[in-house]
Amino acid sequence: MVGRELSGWLLRRGLQAAAAFAIALTILFFLMRAAPGDPLSRISEGRPLSPAEVATLRARYGLDQPVTQQFVSFVGGLLRGDLGVSIEYGRPVTALLAERLPATVLLGGSVLLLNFTVGLWLGVRQAVRRGRREDRWLTTASLIGYAMPSFWLGLVLAWLVGIQLRLLPAAGMQDPLLSLEASFVERSIDVLRHLVLPALTLSVVSIAATMRYQRTAMLEVLQLPFITTARAKGLPDTVVTWRHAWRNALFPVITLFGLWLPILVTGSVFVESVFAWPGLGSLAAAAVWGRDYPLLMGASLLVAALVVAAGFLTDVAYAMLDPRVRLA
Amino acid sequence: MTRWTPRTPLAALVALFSLVTGVTGQSKHENSIVILTGQQPTAPIPTLMEGQAASAGNLELADQLFLRLAGLGPTLLTAGDRGFVPLLARSWTRRDSLTLVFDLDPRARWQDGVPVTARDVVFTFERARNPAIAPRLVALLRHITSVTAEGERRVVFRYSRAYPEQLYDATFHAAPLPAHLLDSMPPEGVARSSFVSQPVGSGPYRLVRNVPGQFVELGANERFFLGKPSITRVILRIASDPDARLNLLLSGQADAMDNVVPPLDNMRRIQADPTLRLVPVPSNTVGFLLFNQKDPGNPSQPHPILSDIRVRRAITLGLDRQLLVRAVFGPYAEVPYGPVSPILWIRHGAPTAERQNLGEARRLLAQAGWSDSDGDGVLDRNGVSLRLGLVLPTTSAIRRQMALLVQEQLRQLGIDIDVQRLEFPVWIERRSGGKFDVDLAATVQDPSPSGLSQGWTCSGGSNAAKYCNPRVDSLIERAVLGLGKPDPRQAWTDVLRQIEADAPAVFLYAPSYVYAVKRRFRNVTISPASPWQLLREWSVAN
Repeated sequence: MVGRELSGWLLRRGLQAAAAFAIALTILFFLMRAAPGDPLSRISEGRPLSPAEVATLRARYGLDQPVTQQFVSFVGGLLRGDLGVSIEYGRPVTALLAERLPATVLLGGSVLLLNFTVGLWLGVRQAVRRGRREDRWLTTASLIGYAMPSFWLGLVLAWLVGIQLRLLPAAGMQDPLLSLEASFVERSIDVLRHLVLPALTLSVVSIAATMRYQRTAMLEVLQLPFITTARAKGLPDTVVTWRHAWRNALFPVITLFGLWLPILVTGSVFVESVFAWPGLGSLAAAAVWGRDYPLLMGASLLVAALVVAAGFLTDVAYAMLDPRVRLA
Repeated sequence: MTRWTPRTPLAALVALFSLVTGVTGQSKHENSIVILTGQQPTAPIPTLMEGQAASAGNLELADQLFLRLAGLGPTLLTAGDRGFVPLLARSWTRRDSLTLVFDLDPRARWQDGVPVTARDVVFTFERARNPAIAPRLVALLRHITSVTAEGERRVVFRYSRAYPEQLYDATFHAAPLPAHLLDSMPPEGVARSSFVSQPVGSGPYRLVRNVPGQFVELGANERFFLGKPSITRVILRIASDPDARLNLLLSGQADAMDNVVPPLDNMRRIQADPTLRLVPVPSNTVGFLLFNQKDPGNPSQPHPILSDIRVRRAITLGLDRQLLVRAVFGPYAEVPYGPVSPILWIRHGAPTAERQNLGEARRLLAQAGWSDSDGDGVLDRNGVSLRLGLVLPTTSAIRRQMALLVQEQLRQLGIDIDVQRLEFPVWIERRSGGKFDVDLAATVQDPSPSGLSQGWTCSGGSNAAKYCNPRVDSLIERAVLGLGKPDPRQAWTDVLRQIEADAPAVFLYAPSYVYAVKRRFRNVTISPASPWQLLREWSVAN
C-alpha cells in the first residue's frame, strides 16, 4: 500500500516537474527572442557583414524562419537530444555544455560540500553555545561574510594569495605546463590548488547564510520538550545535539540547499570570470552578451532542469526525514 | 565520547592548505612560453574563418599553423610589391599588369613531410572563392579571376583589373591548405572533419592539444623550412576577463599578455614588476564620434541638428582630443587624422589633427543660430535645446570613460550630451538601424586602406550614419586603383582631407596595443598585423 502510495506520489511530482520544465522552456524561448539585440551582432563587432554573409548565417541558424517555426524546430531537436549549434562557437551546444559541465560541477560541488559541512557544523555550534563569546564572534563573522560582495572578495584573494604571496594560482583550472606524463595524483593536486580560491570566494557567502539558518533552526528545536526529555534521560550532549536536535533542525537548511543548487551554476558567473574558471557560468554569460540563442537556451534549460530537480529532491528529502510529512 | 573543538576543522583546513600550497608552483620549462589571450580558437583553418569563426583567436592561431605565400613587412605597406617578405613563395614576378607569378620555395613542407606545391595553392583559392564556403573571402578576392599551376612550384594569379594591392590580395587573406589531405573531402565537409581539431599546416608550430575554455598547446614544427623555432612549446592560455589575464601575468602563471587595456593603472602594475616589460604596437583600431546624417525618427529626412556642418565642425573644434587621449590612454595613443588606425600605412604623411579651438567653435554655433537664450547653460534655437544622445556599448571600458570626458568638454560649449550606455547587441541594433544622434564607435581595420570604402562611401556596408559625399567615393575609388597620383599616399591623403573637411565624425583616438612580455625573452618582435606571427624568431635568454 505504502509502495503504491509512494509511486503514485512520485508520478504526480514527476508530472508536475515536467510541466514546470515545459512552461519554463516556452517562456525562456520567447523571452529571449523578444529581447532587443541581434544574435549576429557579436560577429559583426569589428567587421560589418555583407548582406550575403548575413543571409547565409541567418539560414544556417534558422533565424530566417518565423519565431513559432523556430520554436517547433527547437522542441523537435530537444526531443532528439539536439540543442542546435552555437552561433558564437560554431559547435553543437550539447558538446559545449558537456565540456564545461565538469568544471562547474567540481566548483559548485566543492562549494556545496564546504557549505553543508562547515556551515552546518558552525551553525549547530553557535546554537549550542548561544550567547557565549564563540557564538558572538561567529555571528559577527557570518554577518561580515554574508555582506561581503563575492566580486570584491575574489579580486582581493587573487591579489593577496595569488600575486603578493604566490601561495596559490591566481586563476585557471590547471597548469598548462604540467607534463602530459604527470600522474593522476599530481594532476589532482594541481586542480585542487587552482580550486581553492574560487571555491573559497563562493563559499564565504554561502557558508554564512547556512550558519544563520542552521543556528536559528537549532535554537528553536533545542527549546522543545523532547530535547529536555533526552537530556533528562542522561544522554550525552553530542547525542542530544546531533541525533535528536539536528535531525529536526534540518528542514530550513534542506530548503536552502534546494535554492543553492541552481544558484551555484548561475551565481558563479563573476567568480568564473575573475578566476578564468572554464565552467558553465562564463559560457552562459558570453551567450547572453552575444545573444547566442542556441547556447543560451541550452544553458538556461540546464538551470531550469536543476531548479525543478532541486525542488523535487527537496520534497523527497522532507518526506524521508519527517514521517509527519504526508506524501500528498 | 568524541568532543568537537574549534581546533578539529581548523587543523584539517590548515593541513589541506599546506598540502596544496606546499606543492611547487607553476611548472617551469626553459623553452616554453605561456601567452594570455582573450578568445578561444574554434576553427583556425584558412577558408573556414568565416562568420563567427573570423575571430582574432582563430586568425592568430592560424598564423602559427599555416604559412602564407608572402608576409607583410615591417612597413605594413599593402600597395605595390615591395612591402612583402617571402614565406612559402621565395619570389614573385609580374608578367603584365594583370598577371602575378609566384615561385614556391622548394624546401617548403607540410607538417606530415609532403612538399608544398602549386596544386595546394590552386586548391586553396578554389575553396576560398566558393561563395557557399567562404562568402567573406569571395568579396575580398573578387578581383582575382583565376589561379593556375605551372608545374610543381609555380603559381599564376590573374586579375580582372590593375590595382596596387594585387600582391596583398593574393597573399594576405588565405594561406595555402594541404590539397593532398583535403581534396577528397566535399568542401562543406571540412568544417566537420578531424582536420579542424588536428590540422596539418606548413607553419612554424603544430597543434598539440586544445583544452576548451583553458588553453591551446603548440609544439615547434621540427621540419619547418625557415628554421626550427627556438621556443619549442607555446601555450595560448585563454581568459576572457582582462582582470583574470592581468592576475595570471602578475602571479607568474604566464609569460606574455596581449593588449593590456586601460585603465593606466594596469600598465603601471606591470611596469612595477621587474621581470616584465611593455611593448606598444600600432593597433588596428580607431575610435570616433560618428554623427548621424539622418533624423533617427525619420531616416528619409536630414538630422535636425547634425546635418548642419557648422555644428559638426563646432563639436570637433570644441573637444580637446589630445587631452582626452592622454587621460584615457596615457602615452599609448594618438589623435588620428581621419578614420585611420595606426596599422594603416596611409597615416604616414597625413596632416596632424586639428587642435581645440573654443572661440571658433562658439562662432560656428552662433552662426548656425544656436545661443543660450534662457540662460540654462545649454544652447538653444527656436525653443529647441542643443541636446544630443551619445550611444555606446557597455562592454567597452575605454568608451565609457571617453564618453564622460566628451560629455564634460561639450557641456562647457553649451551642448548637452545624453550618454546612453547600451548592452552590446542593443547598441549594434540601434546603430545599424540608424537610431542614434551620435555614436561612440570603434572600428577594427585590415592593413589595407581599401576597407575605408565600407564606412565612408555612399554605398558602404557599414556606413551607419548615411554619410554621403560623391567626391569622397570618387577619391577612394581612384586611390584604390592607384590612379592620378604617383605616390599612393598622396591619393589617400586627399581622401582623408575631404573626410576631415566634411566632419562626418570626430576622430578621437588611434591607440597602440600594449603587450606585456617577460624580459627573459630575446629578439621580441610583435607584428601589428598578427601579434605572435614572429614568435618563431623569439628566443629565451640564458
